[in-house]
Amino acid sequence: MKIVLQNLTKVFPSRNKKSNEEVVAVSDLSFTIPDGKLVGLLGPSGCGKSTTLYMISGLQKPTGGQIFFGEDDVTTLSPENRGVGLVFQNYALYPHMTVKQNILFPLQNLKGADKLDKNTMLERALEAARLVQIDNLMDRKPSELSGGQQQRVAIARALVKMPRVLLLDEPLSNLDARLRLQTREEIRRIQRETGITTIFVTHDQEEAMSISDVIVVMKLGVVQQIGKPQTVYDNPVNLFVAKFLGTPPINVFKANVKGGKLYINGEAVLDVQGVADREVFAAIRPEGFIPAENGAMTCTLSSIEVMGRDVSIVSKNEAMLTPTIRSIVDADYKISATAQTVKFDLKPHKVFIFDSETEERIYFGDQSAPETGI
Amino acid sequence: MKKFLQKIKFEEWKAWIYLAPAVALLLVFTVWPIINTLRMAFWEDYSIMKELGGTLGNEFGLKNFEKVIKYRGFIDCLKNTMLLTVLTVPISTILALVIAVCLNAIKPLQRFLQTIFFLPYVTNSIAIGMVFEAMFNIVGFGTSNPSYGIINNILGVFGADPINWINAGSGYWQNIAVLTIYIVWNALPFKILILLGGLQSVNKQYYDAAKIDSTPRLRVFTKITVPLLSPMIAYVVITGFIGGFKEYSSIVGIFGDDMQAVGGESLNTMVGYIYDALGNQEGRASAAALILFAIIFVVTMINMYVSKKKTHY
Amino acid sequence: MADKKIMTTMHEKDMQKVTAAQTVTKIIVQFLLYAFLCIMALIIVFPFYWMIISSLKSTVEYRLPIPTLFPQDIMWGNYIEAFTAANLGKLFMNTVYVGIVSTILSLVITVLSAFAFARLEFKGKNALFAGLLATMMIPGELFTITNYVTVTKFGWLDSFTVLIVPFLVSVFYIYLLRQNFLQIPNELYLAAKVDGTSDLKYLWKVMIPLSLPNLISITILKMMGAWNSYVWPRLVTSTDDYRLITNGLRDAFTDMSGQANIPVQMAAVTVVSIPLFLVFIFLRKYIMKGVSRSGIKG
Repeated sequence: MKIVLQNLTKVFPSRNKKSNEEVVAVSDLSFTIPDGKLVGLLGPSGCGKSTTLYMISGLQKPTGGQIFFGEDDVTTLSPENRGVGLVFQNYALYPHMTVKQNILFPLQNLKGADKLDKNTMLERALEAARLVQIDNLMDRKPSELSGGQQQRVAIARALVKMPRVLLLDEPLSNLDARLRLQTREEIRRIQRETGITTIFVTHDQEEAMSISDVIVVMKLGVVQQIGKPQTVYDNPVNLFVAKFLGTPPINVFKANVKGGKLYINGEAVLDVQGVADREVFAAIRPEGFIPAENGAMTCTLSSIEVMGRDVSIVSKNEAMLTPTIRSIVDADYKISATAQTVKFDLKPHKVFIFDSETEERIYFGDQSAPETGI
Repeated sequence: MKKFLQKIKFEEWKAWIYLAPAVALLLVFTVWPIINTLRMAFWEDYSIMKELGGTLGNEFGLKNFEKVIKYRGFIDCLKNTMLLTVLTVPISTILALVIAVCLNAIKPLQRFLQTIFFLPYVTNSIAIGMVFEAMFNIVGFGTSNPSYGIINNILGVFGADPINWINAGSGYWQNIAVLTIYIVWNALPFKILILLGGLQSVNKQYYDAAKIDSTPRLRVFTKITVPLLSPMIAYVVITGFIGGFKEYSSIVGIFGDDMQAVGGESLNTMVGYIYDALGNQEGRASAAALILFAIIFVVTMINMYVSKKKTHY
Repeated sequence: MADKKIMTTMHEKDMQKVTAAQTVTKIIVQFLLYAFLCIMALIIVFPFYWMIISSLKSTVEYRLPIPTLFPQDIMWGNYIEAFTAANLGKLFMNTVYVGIVSTILSLVITVLSAFAFARLEFKGKNALFAGLLATMMIPGELFTITNYVTVTKFGWLDSFTVLIVPFLVSVFYIYLLRQNFLQIPNELYLAAKVDGTSDLKYLWKVMIPLSLPNLISITILKMMGAWNSYVWPRLVTSTDDYRLITNGLRDAFTDMSGQANIPVQMAAVTVVSIPLFLVFIFLRKYIMKGVSRSGIKG
């Protein structure tokens, strides 16, 4: 089922009664989530992504705008009547119930056309447990499970009633690094197998990029960009998105354009046709550097980190706005460790130029215009 | 090393000096009574008068216990105590639970109502017992023109005939009803305070999760609220039982300290029995106190055993 | 799992119905909640209301077949009569005296013991503390019998001593305060020792201020205890010189003939209740905190 958010807004009244400052958590949010996709809501903390998720679930009421499930306007519907499944950040498993009872719980509440008999319920619960591979833990209490196991139980509980939408709130944040990798693959697999439209919230861009069909990047309650992960990565519409996506993060420089050429630190590093002369921010992905003896861009070498297949060169120059310039190059490039400076040529499609005032992207290199739709 | 030992010694000294007043008082008024109660309980017909006169009692053994248990007055006290406990603990616990859950579900006026519900706690149980007495009392009872009291008048609005609750000739069950109402009224604040405190510390996400799963209200109450509150409920029930077995001053408040003047049947309780035996029958009083202790102990153990099975985590 | 039917979707018409039903249910539930709570609150408050208005009625008005909900003539005179009938003035002073003296002594003893248990090292500390806690299980009535014998032997009957001394030590308060003291970092104590601060000065300057809320709770509960104590004073005192207010109140009005002057009686009850209300209004926070920790009344 597709989900449509239209001009969704959420304003929280100020907590401090004296000052009347309102907090705009989500502002005029509109986008469509196609049926059966896995969508990641991504942004730093306080960007309104969780609020958006809770509005879709019905636990929070929007201040303005509408939410559609398929053709149905569910904006005023309470969570009880929406038929969503939600996995909470801390899982919220009922501590006094066994895994089995936890998973059965939503089924026992179904009524009307969805009502099931006892055996079907048990079957469904077992099936859901098998899907998340916890069918051997059915008689344990949540306190007897590891974080990863609890997380799976929470997913099983959310999935078992076959909700119209599955929502996950920072599902991986309580897991250790290894479990996180494993579990995110599993979420992907489960979502594919069930085909349920799934929305999850995360502040971890790597997590969002790796499993989402579509990512929605948010900042301060406003959507910045929506698209396939790779598209957004390759074509960030503004400096925020460019900085937010990618590890190691993108390198940002103070630069200017003069006569169709991009100057960083006084050196012409790239041809940029069609851009008027102005001050800009230039952002270069770490993989956008090519070390070259007569490269266009000169930097002071700080250190070289060899990471097997790749080499990470850490350097500096006067125009940089990030703490260091980090470039990832193929290990085939040999750089003398005693060298003082390093010179780079740039890959044009890894260089983005942003207006220095609005931070909007103003030059798209040799690529076609970015897709902002889905 | 020597110095260190000296220092330790000094600290020991200091500790005992600080503890001296407490320890001395505890020895006299707590430790000695425990020993002495056993001694008195096992000397048949022990009394302080006799001891001052040079004899302890007729024989050492279980005679006091036997006499206490066989004595009809004591059996009545035991019956009254049990009856009141069995009536008031469940009623007050369930009522307190419902009130606490309702209080927890509202926003405006919550603090105000919470304060109101705590009010009966800070009262003198004798004094307010007298107010209850006045509310149930029939003024000018037996005269041609009696005033039936506010409670009978309120019941009259619903078409009930006036009832002789506590005046001369009133029935045992009417008396018990009045006592139950008063004790429940008195017991509610503490229970509400504890249960509401428990409710407010329950993670709100469990309720959000229940909402997402379309759980009906009643099911939320029985399947989520009650189990999550079970440690608090157990606590309230156990303290309720202990308090119930020690019930005394509420009855004095309403019926005066002979607890009998009205219907003929005594409303005395175990604690009342113990106090009445002071002055001439300390041996039996001690035996009764030990019986009371044993009952409270057993009931508490049963409660704890049951609640351990029923409460989770 | 993929072949399972996804939950039924609703249609436009149903949606409106569900939305309306949802709103109606919400309103009804809120209404019922408030209705129930208000009725219960009325029941809770009613005895207090009845106490106050009855205390201001004349005997004639009180005996009307249909009780009035508000006094026609306000009879302040009932209060004067109550004071004389139950000798409330004298008993009031007795109670305040016993309350203050026993609270102060009790606080000193409790603080010193709690300090010893929390900060000092001595042989048998843990055993002694466990022993103390164990005595909390025994019902107070068991002590009362022997204590009655003991104070009789001491010749303490009919004195203030007998009302104060036997209840000076409360194991529960020692326990409460010890837990509080333990939360104060030991480094502070060691630092004070290095500076040459004496124990008592440290207690006074650091520990007592830091545990003030608990000390206030203890003070209030102790005072309320004196105010509400009935059984023990009844056993050990026989004259108004030493009796406490609750005894005077009950004994002055034990007339079950149904002819008692109830308005005066209610005036006396109101006089006894008002200090408690005042304490409650101004110190509610401390009482509720103390109570939820102890579950002990007074």
